[in-house]
Amino acid sequence: MRITFERRLRQPRWLSVAVPVGSVVFAFFLAGLVLLATGHNPLSTYRQLFDAAFLQTGSLTQTLISATPLAFTGLAAAAAFRMKLFNIGAEGQLYMGAIFGAAAGLYLGGTGSSSPFVIAAMVVTGCVGGTLWALIPGVLKAFFKTNEILTSLLLNYVAALVLTYLIFQSQSYWRETKGFNASVFPVGKQLPPSAVWPSWTIHIQGGVTVPLGAVLAVLAAVVLWVLYARTRFGFEARVLGDSERAARYAGVRVRRKILAVMALSGAIAGLGGASQVGDFAHSIDGDPNGLQKLGYGYTGIVIAALARYNPFAVVVVAFLIGGLENAGNTLQGVDFPAGLVGVIQGIILFSALGGEVLIRHRVRIVRTKKRAAAAGAEPAS
Amino acid sequence: MKRSRSVLVLLVTAGALALVFTSVTFGGTSKKAASPYKVALILVGPHNDGGWSQAHYAGMQYVQKMLGSKVQFTMKENIAPGAQFNQTVASLSSQGYKMIFGTSYGMITKAVAAKYPNILFEQATGTDLSKNLAEYFGRAEDTVFLSGMAAGAASKTGKIGYVVAFPIPEVIRHANAFALGAQLTHPGATVSLVWTNSWFDPTKEKKAAQSLVGAGADVLGQNVDSPAAGQYAESAKVPWVGYDSDSSKFAPKSWLTAATYNWGPYMLKRVKAAMAGTWKSGFYYGSLNDGFTGIAKYGPGVSAATKAKIATYMKKIENGSFYEFTGPLYDQTGKLRVKAGVKMQVLTGGANSLYGMNWLVKGVIGSAKG
Repeated sequence: MRITFERRLRQPRWLSVAVPVGSVVFAFFLAGLVLLATGHNPLSTYRQLFDAAFLQTGSLTQTLISATPLAFTGLAAAAAFRMKLFNIGAEGQLYMGAIFGAAAGLYLGGTGSSSPFVIAAMVVTGCVGGTLWALIPGVLKAFFKTNEILTSLLLNYVAALVLTYLIFQSQSYWRETKGFNASVFPVGKQLPPSAVWPSWTIHIQGGVTVPLGAVLAVLAAVVLWVLYARTRFGFEARVLGDSERAARYAGVRVRRKILAVMALSGAIAGLGGASQVGDFAHSIDGDPNGLQKLGYGYTGIVIAALARYNPFAVVVVAFLIGGLENAGNTLQGVDFPAGLVGVIQGIILFSALGGEVLIRHRVRIVRTKKRAAAAGAEPAS
Repeated sequence: MKRSRSVLVLLVTAGALALVFTSVTFGGTSKKAASPYKVALILVGPHNDGGWSQAHYAGMQYVQKMLGSKVQFTMKENIAPGAQFNQTVASLSSQGYKMIFGTSYGMITKAVAAKYPNILFEQATGTDLSKNLAEYFGRAEDTVFLSGMAAGAASKTGKIGYVVAFPIPEVIRHANAFALGAQLTHPGATVSLVWTNSWFDPTKEKKAAQSLVGAGADVLGQNVDSPAAGQYAESAKVPWVGYDSDSSKFAPKSWLTAATYNWGPYMLKRVKAAMAGTWKSGFYYGSLNDGFTGIAKYGPGVSAATKAKIATYMKKIENGSFYEFTGPLYDQTGKLRVKAGVKMQVLTGGANSLYGMNWLVKGVIGSAKG
């Protein structure tokens, strides 16, 4: 009897759902072991997690605040990864989108209620900022075959330094220079009232606030799905992802595709950055311990992997991971280490990626019959 | 084959459902304690950073010890000001917490305080005040000055290195106080600054310490939160002045002393007032006199003469006969900034106030802009 590990010929659809779900279950099981080892009761911890993320009054609002940027970076990652273009730079593209979007909001905004014109300008400039930053690794990959993982990742650090520089090391347009508080600690300028993005309240669970960014993320998911599932652009991108050679023979213009997909991915991440400024922070957060420590871009990759690059699944997973992040802030305290939520997320990523293997391969246990013949009993296959 | 596959699916689904079911029904509800007064402490770094956050955590433990079961304290660490902080406050509010201590600038804004009018907020190092928001900090410049005296006395060449975080008035005045203290025990001493742009970053702080020693400093000091510079100082056999708390265990031979914060008594006073209903907002600026600031115990490298001199000046500061920020004070270019006999105030005086200071005194090498 032997165990073989062979590639599947067909990839059944139900596996695409079962494996992510199964890997999350497995991750929670493993994390439960970690919890037990550190002296916590896994069941009550998970119950508290669930409560804090979704059931308590006001928790859905906070979960949406966490989930919105994650949805954007998840979609950005999914858009690129679908074509095997590993854009790790969503983090930096988000910062750039925030910077560009904030500039538009500060420049065009004024008094009065949220202006559709100003907000539209912020959306556009946010996308532009993210696109420009993503095109740097895009151009390097398209024309010089430079590894986009390295270039996009390293540009994240550059973007972080630019963000900190604008607020902490210069008297830039984004920095608040008037007022007593501004002289005590560097802080970004507040957006004028007409540049603040609107939100809507759903009257369940004591009132859930849905920010504009969340709506835009869902729209972006729809657009992305239509693009990849129903247009020629998406078809060519998928073919290119599966086999560059086949794509070339089919006449796909590889360079243009790379640039276009990187631009798209960067635009979505940049929009996430603009949403951070317009929906939540209302100014640029240049503090190295603020936005830069939250790692939205990197968590987006986990989400995209778990959602298997399906845009709608990305939105759902982003919501769940957002709940996990929100609950993590609630649970951490003297008894519950702050890093545990990060550990759980990491285990989920590993399990999801490991589960990937199960989708493409299968384990077969081959029973071999013992031959009555004497010499060299060969196992039949 | 088909059967084993569907069995697998069934198992996975059953597993998922079982997990959700058991945790929801048997997980138990969160503890609901009616009587203890719930207070939360929110730290910007880890509670065991050997520096700023650890000192606040020690304050919390002091209050917990003094009030016992009457108060229920929780601590959140690594919470950045902004969205993460707001989320934490939202969840604390829904869990019934009545008082929140924020320990980093920018955590509790007027807007946050206004959103939760039933919670009492205490913000360290800040300036905003409102009906349910109070500010607290203290004269660390006095004790940093005293620690600078130890640094100056321990230096042979007069070249001292100082690792600093952000070019903001708080850090600038501490750097200036340190330099003034060093120049008292070592006339002509210079203090070179290296900015890390972070309150807590052991890697950057170690690199800063390396570059300072490499450029000729023979004593190290810091205004940042981790003991990394001290650990490097120990390995380089260079004397070291710490900050925030007693970190001598990280560098037993190099340790000189440190300006320390004793947050406990203030926190106790405020929690008691909140519980009794007599809490009122205000701007508290503690000092040596009420035990808010202090000097950590000395290391082996501090001579008896230096200890005596520091003790003398500490008494003088306490009884008001000496104040390190009394004119004449000159800036790096030699220009007279504070006239003879004039004492710098905390909030009033613009660039000549403690909270507005944006210039470095003579003898400090480095830019006040970062």
